[in-house]
Amino acid sequence: MNSHDSSNEVTYKEVNDTVLRMLEPPGAGWYVLLCACLACVGIGAASWTHQIMNGMGDAGKSHPIMWGAYITNFVFWVGIAHSGTLISAVLYLFRAHFRMSIYRLAEAMTVFAVLTAGLFPLIHLGRPWFFYWLMPYPNQRTLWPNFRSPLLWDVFAVSTYLTISATFFIVGLIPDIAAARDRAKTTFRKVLYTLTSLGWTGSNRNWKHYTAAYLFFAAFATPLVVSVHSVVSWDFAMSIVPGWHATIFPPYFVAGAIFSGVAMVITLAIPLRKAFGLERLITADNFDAMSKLILATSGIVSYAYATEFYMAWYSNNTFERYQFWFRPFGEMKVAFWGMVFCNCVAPQILWIKSMRTNIGVLFVLSLIINVGMWLERFNIILQSLARDYIPSAWGAYNFSWIDVGITIGAFGWFGMYMTLFIKFFPAVAITEIKEILPVPARQAGHGGH
Amino acid sequence: MRGSKAVTGVFKYIDDTTKAVKRVQAENLEYKVYSPVPNHEIEELTVPGKSPVRFVTGTGAVTGLVFGFALAILCSLDYPMRVSAKDVVSVPGFVVIGYECTILLGGIFTLLGLLHFCRIPDIFRKPGYDPRFSDDRFGVVVGCEPQQVDRVKAALSEAGAEEVSVDEGL
Repeated sequence: MNSHDSSNEVTYKEVNDTVLRMLEPPGAGWYVLLCACLACVGIGAASWTHQIMNGMGDAGKSHPIMWGAYITNFVFWVGIAHSGTLISAVLYLFRAHFRMSIYRLAEAMTVFAVLTAGLFPLIHLGRPWFFYWLMPYPNQRTLWPNFRSPLLWDVFAVSTYLTISATFFIVGLIPDIAAARDRAKTTFRKVLYTLTSLGWTGSNRNWKHYTAAYLFFAAFATPLVVSVHSVVSWDFAMSIVPGWHATIFPPYFVAGAIFSGVAMVITLAIPLRKAFGLERLITADNFDAMSKLILATSGIVSYAYATEFYMAWYSNNTFERYQFWFRPFGEMKVAFWGMVFCNCVAPQILWIKSMRTNIGVLFVLSLIINVGMWLERFNIILQSLARDYIPSAWGAYNFSWIDVGITIGAFGWFGMYMTLFIKFFPAVAITEIKEILPVPARQAGHGGH
Repeated sequence: MRGSKAVTGVFKYIDDTTKAVKRVQAENLEYKVYSPVPNHEIEELTVPGKSPVRFVTGTGAVTGLVFGFALAILCSLDYPMRVSAKDVVSVPGFVVIGYECTILLGGIFTLLGLLHFCRIPDIFRKPGYDPRFSDDRFGVVVGCEPQQVDRVKAALSEAGAEEVSVDEGL
C-alpha cells in the first residue's frame, strides 16, 4: 500500500529534530549575547539605584512633563506584548496557519514584554516599595483605591493580561516540553523537563481536554487583546490634556500595538531562524503574511494620525489646534517626522512582494518600525504634556542619563529572558507545526485534526 | 487501566492505529492511545462527546464577573467618595473591573479544569509509554491479564504495529 508520506514535506520527526536541536549546549555566541543583556540590565539597575537614592529629580522630569521616558517605555512595552496574544489567540481562532511557526516566539515575547512593562510603573512611582497601595486592600484608614480611575483599570488589565498570557504560554509549552523530556540527555535537563511537563503523555484523554481548554484560553485571550491596550489608551484619553482627549485612542492604540508587536516578532524571528537553521519551519510565506499584517496596521495607524489632525482642525478648539501645530513644527518636531517616516512611509515598501520575503529588508524595516513606535509614544506623551492650556505652564523635557540607562536596562531585561528561553525551552511550537502537516497514513484521507 | 500487564503497540500510521483501537474495543479491554498531536479520528473513536472543561470555564467566568463587580461596589460603599461628579456606585466605571475579573478567573478555572481532567501533574512512570509517542509514532497500550497477552499482541500486530512489547506493573 502506498503511504501518504512525501519526501519533500516536513515530517513529524524533522520538526522534533530541528526544534529540539536548539536546546543543545550553547556556543560562545549565546554566552556573548547573554552577557551583553546582563550588562544592559546592570546599567539599568545602577540607574534605578541612583534614582532611588537621589530622588526622581535626577530622572529628567520637570513640570509639566511628569510622565516622561518611563511611561513612554511602559506604553511601548505593553504594545510589544500585545501582538503575541494576537498571533497566538486571535489567529488561532481564525485558523491562520502562518502563525504556527512563530506563535511560540510571539507568546514568549508577550510574557517577557509585560514583565518589562510592569517595571516602569514601579520605577515611575519613585518609591517602588509602596506599589501595593494600588492593590485593593483595606488599610488602616479603610481607604480603597478609586475603581473609577483608568489608572486602577490599568492595574487590573495589565495584571490579567500577564496572568492569562503566561498561562496560555505555559499550557502551550507543556506537550513540547514533554517532547524535550523524552530526548533529554543530561540529568539536569531530564529533571527540569520532567517537572515542567507535569507528566504529560499525549494520551487520548490528555489531548481531548487540552484542545478544549486551549480553545477557551484563546477565546478569553482574544477580548484581552482589545481590552488591554484600550485601557492603556484610556489612561490618556480620559484626561482633558490637549492631544490626549480623543475617542479614537483605543482603536488607534490597539492597531499601533499590533503593528509594533509584529515588527518585534520579525526582529526576533530572523536571527533565530538564521542561527538555528529553521528555514524549513519559519518560511518565506510566514514572513509574507506578517508583512501584510504590518502593511495593514501601518495603514490604520497612518489613518489615525491623519484623523487626529483633522479632528483638531474640525473641533475649532484653540488648544487642540495648537497642540497639533506644535507636534510637526515645534521644538520636538524631529520626533514627529521620525515617527511619520518610520510608521507611515517606510512600511509602504511592503507593497512589493519581493520585499515582503526579503529577509534583510524585513529585518531593517522591523527595527525602523520599533523606533517609530517608540517615537509615537514619545510624541503622544511628552509633546502633549509640554503644551498644556496655560503658556506660563509650558515646559520641556530633558533626558537625563538615568532615563537612558533605565531604557537600555529594559531592553537588556527583555533580551535576557528571551536569550535564556531559547536555550531552555522549545522556542518554536513542535505540536502546532505538526498539526498542519499531513498525518502519516497508509491511505490518504485520514487524520484531519 | 485494569490488568496486570500492559501490551504496547507502536504504530507509524494513523489508520493502523485506529484499526488497532477498534480491535481492542471489540475485545472489551481497557486501553490508552498516545499520539504526538491531537487527532479527531482518535478522539471520536475513543472519547466521543465534549470535554467537561467548559463547565469549569463557565463557572470561573461567572464567578469572576460577580467578584469584579462586588469588589468595586463594596469597596466604594465602604469608602464613599464622589469623584468627578460620578455616582459612588458608578456601574459604567466598574464594567472594566468586572470584565477583567471575568477573564482572569475564567482563565484560572480553565487551567484548574485542564489539570484536573488530564490528571496532571503526575510525573511518575506510565506503563507502556514510549518516548517515540511524543516524536512521530502512535501508541496503543492495552491493559490485560497474563492469559490475554498473546491474543492482544496478535491483534496489535495484525493491525499493523511496528513493534509490540509487554510491560509489567499496571
